[in-house]
Amino acid sequence: MNGWTFAATVGLAGGLGTALWGVATGPLRRRVVAQNLSTALACPGMLLLAQGYGRPAYVDVGLVLALLGPVGTLVFARLLADELAEDPPRAWGPTWTVAGLGAVTVIALCVATGPSRAMVKFLVIGALLIGGNVMASRALSGGFRGVRGG
Amino acid sequence: MADALIVVALLLVAASATVAVVTRDPMRQALVLSVLGVVLAVLFTVLQAPDVALSQLAVGSALTPLLVMLSVRRIRRRGRPQERER
Repeated sequence: MNGWTFAATVGLAGGLGTALWGVATGPLRRRVVAQNLSTALACPGMLLLAQGYGRPAYVDVGLVLALLGPVGTLVFARLLADELAEDPPRAWGPTWTVAGLGAVTVIALCVATGPSRAMVKFLVIGALLIGGNVMASRALSGGFRGVRGG
Repeated sequence: MADALIVVALLLVAASATVAVVTRDPMRQALVLSVLGVVLAVLFTVLQAPDVALSQLAVGSALTPLLVMLSVRRIRRRGRPQERER
């Protein structure tokens, strides 16, 4: 076990454990936020695992997670819109904390790999992760209510 | 020491699956199912099966919750009294 897998173990255990606790208890608004943050926390863990195992192919799992995580949250934001409109979730503190964790992870991995195509891939994943996470959080808190269709 | 990661992933899967079974409301259950999909993908990656993790992510994190939520919405809409009169 090297430093990368140790960081992944700590991050996944703490982050996903907290997200699981949040999704299991409390009101609906807390559960949707926890579901959103679980994908945003698992993605940096996947990137750390890929680096720790020394297999760049594993980075693809993180890329798919960064793409599909916000999609899953948008499904909930759309289909739970009526329930969430009465009691909108406002969790910008946790959202930016998790986004900062993702940014720190991506920057550390970029420094470790050096300038190459792999670094560009890490940067793309980081941009997708943070952008998608913030967009999904805004959709949950009702930021896009004006564009709702039928 | 490398087994610690596998133990953590297995514990997370066991905990989230138990929570998914215990939760009664289908909408909240869909939220837990989505988290369970992500945790299962982590477990598959830790067990050196990233291809399985990729398909698990595609199905578990977006598609299964979408199906559950759509069917719950359909059933609730049909159950409303004003809709039944039409």
